[in-house]
Amino acid sequence: MKIDKNVMQKIAKNARLELTEEEVNEFLPQLNDVLEYFSILNEFKEDIEPAFHPISIKNVYRGDIVEPSLSPSEALSNAKNKKDNYFKGPKVLK
Amino acid sequence: MNVHDYVENVKSGNIDVVEYIENVLEEAERINSAYNYYTTICSDLAIGLAKMVKNNPKGKLAGVPVSVKDCICVKGVETTSSSDILKGYKPVFHATVVQKLINEGAIIIGKTVQDEFGFGSFSVNVGKSFKVPLNPVDPLRSCGGSSGGAAGVAAKSNLVHLSLAESTGGSIACPSSFCGVNGFTPTYGNVSRYGLIDYGSSLDKIGVIGKDLNGVELMFDVIKGHDANDSTSIEHINEKKEITKVAVIKSAFDVDDKVKSIVEKKLSDIEYDEIELPLTKKYSLSSYSIIAMAEASTNLAKFCGMRYGAQPDITMPYNEQFTKVRSNNLGKETKRRIIIGTFARMSGYRDAYYIKALKVRQAIINEYKKTFKTYDALISPTMPILPPLLKNIENLNPLDIYKMDQLTVGVNLAGLPHLSSNAGYFEGLPVGMMVVGNHFNDNAIFDYVRKTW
Amino acid sequence: MVNNIKIGLEIHCQLNTKSKLFCGCENKANEEPNTLTCPVCLGHPGAKPVLNKQAVMKALKVALAMNCQINPAMVFSRKSYFFPDLPNNFQVTQYEFPLAGKGFFDGITIKRLHIEEDPGKLIHKAGYVLVDYNRSGVPLIEIVTEPELTSADRAKEFLRNLIWTLEYLDVYERESESSLRCDVNISINNGSRVEVKNVNGMNDVKRVIEYEVERQQQHQAVQETRGWDSEKGITYQMRTKENEDDYGYITEPNLPMFEISNELMDNIKVDLAELPLEKIKKYIKDFGLSLNDAEVIASDKGVAELFEKVSMHVNPVRAAKWIRQELVRHLSLNKVKLNNITFNSKEFIKLLKLFFEKKITDKVAKDIMKKLIKDSSFNVEKYIKDNSLTAVSDESEIESLCDSVISSNPKAVEDYKSGQENALNFLMGQVMKLSKGKASPDIAKEILKRKINK
Repeated sequence: MKIDKNVMQKIAKNARLELTEEEVNEFLPQLNDVLEYFSILNEFKEDIEPAFHPISIKNVYRGDIVEPSLSPSEALSNAKNKKDNYFKGPKVLK
Repeated sequence: MNVHDYVENVKSGNIDVVEYIENVLEEAERINSAYNYYTTICSDLAIGLAKMVKNNPKGKLAGVPVSVKDCICVKGVETTSSSDILKGYKPVFHATVVQKLINEGAIIIGKTVQDEFGFGSFSVNVGKSFKVPLNPVDPLRSCGGSSGGAAGVAAKSNLVHLSLAESTGGSIACPSSFCGVNGFTPTYGNVSRYGLIDYGSSLDKIGVIGKDLNGVELMFDVIKGHDANDSTSIEHINEKKEITKVAVIKSAFDVDDKVKSIVEKKLSDIEYDEIELPLTKKYSLSSYSIIAMAEASTNLAKFCGMRYGAQPDITMPYNEQFTKVRSNNLGKETKRRIIIGTFARMSGYRDAYYIKALKVRQAIINEYKKTFKTYDALISPTMPILPPLLKNIENLNPLDIYKMDQLTVGVNLAGLPHLSSNAGYFEGLPVGMMVVGNHFNDNAIFDYVRKTW
Repeated sequence: MVNNIKIGLEIHCQLNTKSKLFCGCENKANEEPNTLTCPVCLGHPGAKPVLNKQAVMKALKVALAMNCQINPAMVFSRKSYFFPDLPNNFQVTQYEFPLAGKGFFDGITIKRLHIEEDPGKLIHKAGYVLVDYNRSGVPLIEIVTEPELTSADRAKEFLRNLIWTLEYLDVYERESESSLRCDVNISINNGSRVEVKNVNGMNDVKRVIEYEVERQQQHQAVQETRGWDSEKGITYQMRTKENEDDYGYITEPNLPMFEISNELMDNIKVDLAELPLEKIKKYIKDFGLSLNDAEVIASDKGVAELFEKVSMHVNPVRAAKWIRQELVRHLSLNKVKLNNITFNSKEFIKLLKLFFEKKITDKVAKDIMKKLIKDSSFNVEKYIKDNSLTAVSDESEIESLCDSVISSNPKAVEDYKSGQENALNFLMGQVMKLSKGKASPDIAKEILKRKINK
């Protein structure tokens, strides 16, 4: 498996990253080295259940109990772009 | 002074904890100006906590100065994971571990620098507005990573100090080895992650670094235990099984001869068998990297310039705005890992990479579990090299750097508790050795190291 | 002519839990912005989700009612896409391991049913958006149907039947149109499939289908995702297949897996054998109810249970009509659910009996009903007796009341004589008032008419 510039740009776009020409040229051979190393996994043929965690954990719930929320001023305390207790975000084209 | 004696002296009033903490803060500033271990020193919080302890000297860690790795939330104190994209972020809540420490009288001194989000083994991948920490033994060398600041400050402080650190694939063991201190990484799920900024959530573990081994265990005992706010934390009844039979992993000695010589010398007094873990050796780095990066690439998606951290003025539609904020504020290694992680879970590739890596993880866990049926602990060197010169790191390519973690990723992937302690020095440079125990047999490792080291 | 219309629905329905899916913030609509948020539902670094068991129970109830195959275990996954209303820029949903697989409901095959979280709410402004995260983390179930619906009307009917069932199961409250949102897949004449996203409520689903069927006849459909502008009544292109984000699903590493045990299933106390659609049929066939009465009564579990008790003691048709017109109307005006209060059905039966036997008037019956809703220990007969509320049907008594009303309201009497029917209603009102609501309205009306026309 080797990736080319187009695939890498597509991945970057999907991750909302814009790579400079310099970064593309630097990353591409590095990523292909890494992917080639990862290809060793192809040699693993055993079909076993995937391990989502290192230990077995299941059925952890909370009860349907209302707990206090943050006040709007706390909720917005780290926000720079805000208005009337709303967060401001970039526009969405309709 | 060791931690236990210090706590006794605080409780009996022989030590004025406020004065002591003022000295600790002064020392922290001094060390920091030369070695860059802290991102923030929170003097006001520290003095406030010290006054409380002075008025009411209670708790298992009464008055103990503690630093917190930058990826762990401290309410009201800038918490950034050493990333520019979180510059200015002040959490509205304490991480569970921080709350537990404060409840037991610990004094939070500041936040320690790390590789951005934990992405590195040398603490050189810090955000643009952060400084690379320097090795306490030789400032031209690396502290190790990603908990570089935590290990550095633990080693360099003459006054009492314990560091709260975090490991995803070796980020506690590695810097502890390079800085010549004890670094303990608990069983996955044994310590709550609530308030830990996620890297690879199925791998992340909060642990402790310090010079005083008993102090490290004391702090671990304070932070461990079930937390209702972390769905992956485990209520575990401690049934300690004494470590009597140990094995060393033979191929783990395919390392730098200097490291090998020190570790072998240390092992000469110990009885052990030699074994191999073929699946772990062959697959663990790939499996670990894919899982860690796939999880990280989603964990880091939330950083987009809204609600907290870097928030430039809104001038563009959301896709462009998010892309700009992320591209300008994330470091190079972070971008690399996001790209690898995104690729590994994209449709068309996810079965061959992400799902395969999860299956391989199960096989590796099985291999370890089988080994622990015969042995109580496994021993190996922690890092394959001595602390490297910072200038030499620049010449390494990413794959070479990832391979530096070859001895630590397996145990981290399997969530096994491990303690890296100093085995000796080669021409003044520290060499670490690692004892790995079975799941939830964490405290037995301390007993073993105390007894045999 | 269009034939072969194929419609599939992905229905997102808010569950009426008290708290959100992964945190303790209250699950409540129409509050002030950002008053129901915490580090978890704001996506703060370090916060972690913990699953609300009640949400699972409610979703499971629906899955059983849809006759779905329940999977032995479910796992949550992260669906990655960037959007300003999504705090983590991924949605926690279910992918490979949903709660439930294939089922059927109202003649339509259900493909799968899973649990997921709602994003926040956007208000669009010039150059930016305002975001309210109160809705962020509200539990949703997503029900996916096979494309077996064949017309706009049928799709609406299906949704109406579904809503009744969800309300009956007490998992959903129709607080606003946006509490039930659909993605609608439409293809005609075996052409390409068009997906219209985010359609609120069953009426708009019908409009979307009508619009798309018309549009696809004129413009050959291409596989694409479209949006819906409810005000203008049009769909518009959002993105083509090539421009879609790759969701890059991974399992949610901050949550463990969840086994759907027999124990969990046993805790579901609803009798799933007779749900609203079966009840409606039974009420019409066995009791002779009108369709309207049957639908209203069957879609609320508490009301249906009450009616079934009542129908054994009084005329079911009259009872049903009165329950719909008076009881249900009063309950919904006051936002009370019969299931959430202790309601004394024995006293209610006495009340209906007395009313149907004309022992009390309509007005008195309604007053008593309101008291009965508030107080489960309320004694109907004692109250009537203590307050002497028995209907007055003695003619001589009513005659004297009428005489006094006629003599003190000469203008209204004249108005009535000159042909204004309204005036009689006014006079009737006066008689009722004088009798404190006890006069039998039928008799009073007769007497008034007779006396004035003399």
